[in-house]
Amino acid sequence: MTTMTTKRRLTLAALTGAVALATGLAALPAAAQTSLRVFSGGQNQRPDLMRKLFDQYQAKNPGVKIDIETGGATSELQRQYLSTVLNAKDSAIDIYMIDIVNPAQYFGAGWLEPLDAHLGMSGADAMKPYLPVYASSNIVDGKIAAMPAFADAMFMYYRKDLLAKHGVAEPKTWDELAAASKKIQAAEGNPNLQGLSIQGAPIEGAVCTFLLPYWSQGKDFNDASGRMTLDKPVAVKGLNQWLGMVDAGVIKKNVAEVKTPDTVNEFMAGQVIFAINWGFAWDRFKDDPASQVKGNVGVMPLPAMAGGKSATCVGGWQWAVSAFSKNKAEAAKLVKFMSSPEASKFLAVEGSLLPVYQSVYTDADVVKVAPWFKDAAGVVIAGKSRPMSKEYGQVSDVIRTTTSAVLARTKKPEEGVDEIASRLTRVMR
Amino acid sequence: MAAPTALDRLRDPSEKTLGVMLLAPAFLLLLLIVVYPIGKLIWNSFFDLRLSGGSGVKFAGFENYALVLKDPDFWNATKNTVLITLITVPGALVVGLGLATLANLPFRRKWPVRLALLLPWALPLAFAGLIFAWFFHTEYGVVNDVMRRLGAAEPTMWLLRPGWAFTAICMTIIWKTSSFMALILLAGLQMIPRSLYEAAEVDGANKWQQFWQITIPMLMPSIIVALIFRSITALQTFDIPYTMTKGGPGNSTETLAMLIHKTTIDYLDVGYGSTLAVCMFLLSLVVTGFYINRIGRNA
Repeated sequence: MTTMTTKRRLTLAALTGAVALATGLAALPAAAQTSLRVFSGGQNQRPDLMRKLFDQYQAKNPGVKIDIETGGATSELQRQYLSTVLNAKDSAIDIYMIDIVNPAQYFGAGWLEPLDAHLGMSGADAMKPYLPVYASSNIVDGKIAAMPAFADAMFMYYRKDLLAKHGVAEPKTWDELAAASKKIQAAEGNPNLQGLSIQGAPIEGAVCTFLLPYWSQGKDFNDASGRMTLDKPVAVKGLNQWLGMVDAGVIKKNVAEVKTPDTVNEFMAGQVIFAINWGFAWDRFKDDPASQVKGNVGVMPLPAMAGGKSATCVGGWQWAVSAFSKNKAEAAKLVKFMSSPEASKFLAVEGSLLPVYQSVYTDADVVKVAPWFKDAAGVVIAGKSRPMSKEYGQVSDVIRTTTSAVLARTKKPEEGVDEIASRLTRVMR
Repeated sequence: MAAPTALDRLRDPSEKTLGVMLLAPAFLLLLLIVVYPIGKLIWNSFFDLRLSGGSGVKFAGFENYALVLKDPDFWNATKNTVLITLITVPGALVVGLGLATLANLPFRRKWPVRLALLLPWALPLAFAGLIFAWFFHTEYGVVNDVMRRLGAAEPTMWLLRPGWAFTAICMTIIWKTSSFMALILLAGLQMIPRSLYEAAEVDGANKWQQFWQITIPMLMPSIIVALIFRSITALQTFDIPYTMTKGGPGNSTETLAMLIHKTTIDYLDVGYGSTLAVCMFLLSLVVTGFYINRIGRNA
């Protein structure tokens, strides 16, 4: 009996000691070191370059260790992953890189930490140095929901060599573009040469495919408060512009199957005269070993509808601090660094990622690497953002699914536009 | 002798107590991973639970269920799900039966046949969907290439026409699932005694008669088991249409599971998504009930 009690006591003492030791050991390094875990997007968001920036930050802040997580090839896949993680209030990830369309939705769901207090300034002040479109998309309900990482917009890439060879000037309207394409296609006599490549698959890019011809007639999809202001006949006319170009053989028939990488790959293979794509594609056309169009690529603003004015779809990526992070203060500091002019310049020089500061566009080092950035600033500034809505998941799904169905000709443009209007009136009010 | 204490009873439990004690861990586990989630799902279906609005949780009573009944997307998805089940389950049964009969032939080497049966079954559903999406691609797909060589003038846009897209999805599902059918049926085939066929041969029955009079009746239990498993998974069809068409063009190939996923994950409408899931659960329950009823009568 006595021996048993002694044994028990001994065991208990040993256990207590071990627990104390373990907690002590765990607590020691924690005091000196903060670990931050960052979700850094998919390959197109260049996690390799972000890693280099994180390394720079770690070198300057020895107390901070940054782990990086990547994933999701497209914006929709990332949104699905992040919705799952954030919905579970997971505290494992401290910082998220999110698409420009997401701050409103995530902030609305209470998933993002407002950064005003951490940065010590109001939203308006914090956003002043950035391009105006990023200020409006990152301020939600008057609070800073996220900080800009890099900009993006849809550009018109074209084959300089082919336009020069056939004496064609840069088209200013979609009709001019169609005529130019037809002329070049006929003269080249290559049945696989497409005039224009746009994205018609039901992916995030198809939201822009719907909005580009609509906006370029001078109309807005929504007002400042987020209420939908869809002008149906104008939207139908925009979709008919695409369908007319399909009928004319300028856009290929299975356009409703085309995703962003298809456009990039087909343009790189020399099968496309004009291609609409995001800014990141420039780097691929220029540097990818598989690119057969190196040195022959021009960039210009998107054409407009006849009588309208050019408008592009603005994209871009933001850094946001999770509302469930256990290291919000440290995370906010890192976000501030990642959103600084130095970081923006680094990304522009190393990866041709468009800067979020106007001054960086004209920086001598940047212009040396990407001469077209001089003109790109104007395009991004004049660009429009997709509707900022707390229900963006639904807004995007309705627009892209319907646009794709219209381009696949399973719905008439009128039916498609009616469907968008009736489904979104309830959501965007 | 003193009356047994609680501790004594624990040390030397009766047959019944021991049974309860041994079952308890499994029962608790089931409670945690089956009963709790289903209960929570049904509970959520009675609330207006939208994550994106920030408006909080409101009790909605049967409002979500009323909305479901009026929702054309729900009926469209239900129609697609039921059609996929009605087409692919018998389809896979017929193809699977053929494969199983083939594999049951007295080959000298059995493993290549067995391997060919196992491979599609071992392939993840999403991979099968992605592979077949490439097969059916308008420009790069092997299907259109074969059709062009056979003399088709215009490529068929398989995944961009509602009817063709549906056909392509059903063909993929049948390809993917018939090997599972075949595996179960092959096990059944091997249990049929050879003597039955020998006796039939003596009586002068031809192969066709042997198949209908011996093979099919003897195989019935295996067929029923295969049908139950396949029907229930067919009602949950998600991966293959999701990777092949994303439900497109429009929502012409959207299934119930895809609609639930979209409502919950993309739209962040957990309340309505739960209601849709409860409706899908009821549909599965009806189908399972039908089979259990049939088995009961057969037994």
